[in-house]
Amino acid sequence: MTHQEFLDQVDAYALGALESGEARALEQHLTGEGPHPLCEAALARARETVATLAADLKPVSPPPRVWEGIARAIAQGQESAPRAPAPASPRLPVSAPAGEAGKALRRTPPWTYAIAAAAVVMLVLGGINVRDARQSAAMAGASAAECARELAEARIDVLRKEDALQLLLEPGTQIVSLKPSPGPPTPLAQGTGVVLFNPRGRALFLGKSFAAQATRDYELWLIRDGKPIAAGLLPPGPDGRVFSEVRPDVLTGGRPAAFAVSVEPKGGERVAPRGPIILTGAVAAP
Amino acid sequence: MTRPAEDRTVLDAVRRGDQRSLEELYRRHSPRLYGLLLRMLRETADAEEILQETFVDAWRRAGEYAASRGSVEAWLITIARSRAIDRIRNRGARLRLVKQSEQLASADAPQPEPPDVHAQTRLRKALGTLPPEQRRALELAYWEGLSQSEISRETGDPLGTVKTRVRLGLQRLAELLAG
Repeated sequence: MTHQEFLDQVDAYALGALESGEARALEQHLTGEGPHPLCEAALARARETVATLAADLKPVSPPPRVWEGIARAIAQGQESAPRAPAPASPRLPVSAPAGEAGKALRRTPPWTYAIAAAAVVMLVLGGINVRDARQSAAMAGASAAECARELAEARIDVLRKEDALQLLLEPGTQIVSLKPSPGPPTPLAQGTGVVLFNPRGRALFLGKSFAAQATRDYELWLIRDGKPIAAGLLPPGPDGRVFSEVRPDVLTGGRPAAFAVSVEPKGGERVAPRGPIILTGAVAAP
Repeated sequence: MTRPAEDRTVLDAVRRGDQRSLEELYRRHSPRLYGLLLRMLRETADAEEILQETFVDAWRRAGEYAASRGSVEAWLITIARSRAIDRIRNRGARLRLVKQSEQLASADAPQPEPPDVHAQTRLRKALGTLPPEQRRALELAYWEGLSQSEISRETGDPLGTVKTRVRLGLQRLAELLAG
């Protein structure tokens, strides 16, 4: 891309009106061999103008829970590492209190042993149980702060497991195993995962052995009527595990035929996967 | 010290891992960002979620901020809008602009703070001088999150025409606001 081509498109870029491929080309121009003083100045001017368009809006004070959520995300330590892979949806899935989860389990009829077994598989997949998490938090205590951080992470893990268990016990939930796509293995294809899919509009992706990529993101897709629909990024934790809520809005258009995971440039694709498909799994017919 | 310079000082502290400075940044900018997200997304839950993601992202990527590419406020708006546009495109929402005021006027809508009347007046005056088709292209991109290709499909105008309108519209706006 030449400087002039950059300057021709920088306004649309600042507005967010370029397609993802076009936007990436501009970003690569800026990060390529430089310096680019004219291009950077043009970008600054365009961004300031775009920012000014918001001046016509009335500022609105957000409710306190928004800052509380930010502080919680940072306290969990998940966001402390500079330049770590971007989480697409860091919102913690809504979970019932532990007592409620226990009641749900006690109500479980005997014929749901198969589901319970699947839940055990799930816990194994996650690799952490409540006791281990508490022990690890207790033993990690070189300092009180470190201990608190570990304990917070353990609590999050417990809440996630309870959330997954609750979804498993919901009528109609099925486990969609995602298998490596046919073809020669790639260095990126080491992750495995399942989607817990409930046709009433909820799904969770759980995976393990996903290596964080500096310049790429894992992205979940659902396939419906032969078309891929972006269902969210899958940011791996430091231990390579992934726990992501599938965007509810993409689950409302009818039962998908399959789920798939691809590897895309940072930020993911919006329309269709362009990178390699590393995992696929078909959704069983009702 | 001017407000942009203060913002840079605050962001420098955020870059060093000072959470209180992030809170200060949030205090300064969250009302405008939240108002922007409410108007773009039209759903309180989505706006709250994207606002949260924006500041978590700012915490994580503070080291990537470059003053040569715009102010801290413009950087935060870029992050927030980028995530909001992703959300709009993912959910396939293509609601018309006329619905916005109805949504925002609903009884449970958060209460706005006093606006910056001077900035509003300047912006409205500047927007009023743009040719209608340029203004329409900017509005579709800014509020609806449409790409230039989508604007072309929406309006029936050739893609090249849309690109020209976006470029000239924003450049003209920049000149008017600067003058």
